[in-house]
Amino acid sequence: WSIKTSSGIQIIINFSLSLTGESPPEKPTIIKCRSPEKETFTCWWKPGSDGGHPTNYTFLYSKEGEQQVYECPDYRTAGPNSCYFDKKHTSFWTIYNITVKATNKMGSNVSDPHYVDVTYIVQPDPPVNVTLELKKPINTKPYLVLSWSPPPLADVRSGWLTLEYELRLKPEEGEEWETVFVGQQTQYKMFSLNPGKKYIVQIHCKPDHHGSWSEWSSEKYIQIPTDFRVKDMVVWIIVGVLSSLICLIMSWTMVLKGYRMIAFILPPVPGPKIKGIDTHLLETGKSEELLSALGCHGFPPTSDCEELLIEYLEVEDSEDQQLMPSHDNGHPSKNAKRIPKEKDSDSGRGSCDSPSVLSEKCRESRALPSTLQTQDVRDVQENKEGKRSWETECIASEQKILLFNNESTKETTWPATQLPDNHLFAYHSIVDAHKITLSTTNVNITSFLVGNEEHQSQYPITETLHDDMEKQREMENLHSKTDQTTVQVIKNRPNDKSPFLNPKLMDYVEVHKVRQDKEPAVLLKHKENSRKSDKYTVPGTSKEYTKVSTVVDHNILVLMPDSRIHHTSVIQEPAMEMPQNLQQGQAEKNMSYCLTVPSECKRETSGSEYMDPSSFMPFK
Amino acid sequence: AALTPLPPPAGTDPATPLLCRRGAGAAVAAVAGDAGCRLLTVADLFDRVIRHSGRIHSLATALCEKRLPPRDNELGKSARKCHTSGMLTPNGTEYAQKIPREELTHLTLKLLQAWKEPLSHFNQHIEHHQELPDDSLSKAKQISNMVHELKTGVEKVTEKMQSMGIINNSLTGMASSEATGLSISNEANMMSDSDFIHCFRRDSNKVQSYLKILKCRIMPENSC
Repeated sequence: WSIKTSSGIQIIINFSLSLTGESPPEKPTIIKCRSPEKETFTCWWKPGSDGGHPTNYTFLYSKEGEQQVYECPDYRTAGPNSCYFDKKHTSFWTIYNITVKATNKMGSNVSDPHYVDVTYIVQPDPPVNVTLELKKPINTKPYLVLSWSPPPLADVRSGWLTLEYELRLKPEEGEEWETVFVGQQTQYKMFSLNPGKKYIVQIHCKPDHHGSWSEWSSEKYIQIPTDFRVKDMVVWIIVGVLSSLICLIMSWTMVLKGYRMIAFILPPVPGPKIKGIDTHLLETGKSEELLSALGCHGFPPTSDCEELLIEYLEVEDSEDQQLMPSHDNGHPSKNAKRIPKEKDSDSGRGSCDSPSVLSEKCRESRALPSTLQTQDVRDVQENKEGKRSWETECIASEQKILLFNNESTKETTWPATQLPDNHLFAYHSIVDAHKITLSTTNVNITSFLVGNEEHQSQYPITETLHDDMEKQREMENLHSKTDQTTVQVIKNRPNDKSPFLNPKLMDYVEVHKVRQDKEPAVLLKHKENSRKSDKYTVPGTSKEYTKVSTVVDHNILVLMPDSRIHHTSVIQEPAMEMPQNLQQGQAEKNMSYCLTVPSECKRETSGSEYMDPSSFMPFK
Repeated sequence: AALTPLPPPAGTDPATPLLCRRGAGAAVAAVAGDAGCRLLTVADLFDRVIRHSGRIHSLATALCEKRLPPRDNELGKSARKCHTSGMLTPNGTEYAQKIPREELTHLTLKLLQAWKEPLSHFNQHIEHHQELPDDSLSKAKQISNMVHELKTGVEKVTEKMQSMGIINNSLTGMASSEATGLSISNEANMMSDSDFIHCFRRDSNKVQSYLKILKCRIMPENSC
């Protein structure tokens, strides 16, 4: 009973003591022991609560195989709550038994024993002297050499401590590190880094067998230089120089021959060429005069206009300056009857509408009467508002057809002025056809009509077909197309529609007045001789008149096949002439385009226009 | 490392063509009777044995970890007593560098010798015991062979060093090792398996470290 009482009293005393906050210290715990260089080591402990009293900590250890207990030789070097073992006190391949005792006024407490073999607790310092070197070998991409030194305390030289390294890098903006195990070497070559980017690199090390990784070295930034190779620069410089040269040349060309270029690229819509129209009259802008000159007094033109003599004005290139109307055909220039158009003028409507007509006209190269030109000019002028009166002039000799196209450029480049240096523009298709003729000898006319899928316009000379309309439309579109060597226009029609496009075939199509009653007829006339340049022999054919069957879309002249017309002859002529023209044409540099102006050519339904494709209107 | 030329080894006929001589440290492998001349420096030889000992140590570590999950506090649990504990071996780099090279070499050989027997016993032992997983079993079997090879290698290196005059030809220590070997092996039989592996791991690390230090020490220009 007394014992119980005494123990009970003890308990009460202890309890009271704890109530007041005083107690022996709590058991400390040993956190870790580390050796930075495998020669010394340090242990840290964590104290428990001190029980309200200042507590002393005692670090005790014993070695494997020995009973002797030692106290920590150095409490201070490594900081508070630590014990530092220097070289003398460090033994390898020996297990230390470490305990920490906390003592205070009330009592003491001992931590759990901790066993440590120094061999296995090595954690080196991070590597130092991280340097970067950019190596630029010849003929190889430059690469980066990263080198570093082991931590200063580590005795790597003697081989006592062997370190392995690992580095990690990432782009500056990147998220993830890429880790590379390097081994025991102290340098690393980095080959595939993106030029121009910035990278962060870090290295750490660890003993080769046991131990833990060191901390990462401080961040090292790499800026990869942009790889400016001399070769690349040279290439770019050459490219730049060439481009600027090309630009210069192009601009120079544009300046000098801008118009021609434009016409080349955007062939003008052929203005209507009406025989008997004096371009000069047009210039003056007096419609009355013009009309009177045309000899058409009434509108619509009456049949007396049928006697229009078609004058052919041959307008050629510099070689052949034939502004003068050629009266070879003996037709007095005159009344190309011209259907008075309304102001809007599409004097060229007819030609617009019926590429076929134009092509017919163009079928033979003839000299165009200057009067015609004038008239055309006038006509054009009337149409100046913006419509293009486009006329197709066919220069038979050159097999070029001049298209007078007002539209694109209001140019007042009248044939007269233009002639000297103009290109003769012919129907696009015709020109193409011409080209084709040039290129292909004896190509059948129909073959000219190489149909471009896009442009399939046929220009049936004598036949009025509904498809003419479309062709005509397409003809209209031609001008906007870039020059194409193929004759876009005419699709081969088996039945011969008409190789109108045969430039050779340029013929003057005399558009007689369109009979309103029904199909207007287009007169197609062949010009026998005509040309100033005897380049072509116009097959002597009789006049051919084709009736215009209908006008479509105001700018398509649909011709009716006329029995009177000898298609075959027509067709053949061109064929025959072609070779001739080919030669001639080859001499020509400039192709003329006959283009129809699509939209602007509105054709009056009733318009029977006299179109004289043979009159050359130099298009400028 | 730049090798400075050494005078011909003492005892050898100066006229003997040392064809493969390559300066100091070069182990002239023109051993009499060798058809060819293998140019192997002592440093190369040391590298080989060091690598070999490293492999052994890795194997031992793997074995140890398989059997005993590494826990620091487990280390001292058992009254671990390695049969080689009685050998006085330098337990630190300082001591390892202080003692003469010959002694260090000798100690290395002694260690290797001390493990020869216990390893063979261990092999027989584990074959009967199915405690180890299969790969550990094969590893354990490998170890004894490797130790044997390592011992042979170190002996060769020693010979080279002796022939080159790097170390003395004193073999005084070797004779006594045979005598102690028996007693050591007796003690080894009393070790438990875990202790056995642990002790072996430690000693393999010792051997490797000694070899590394030796390699540094035989090069006169290295300040080890």
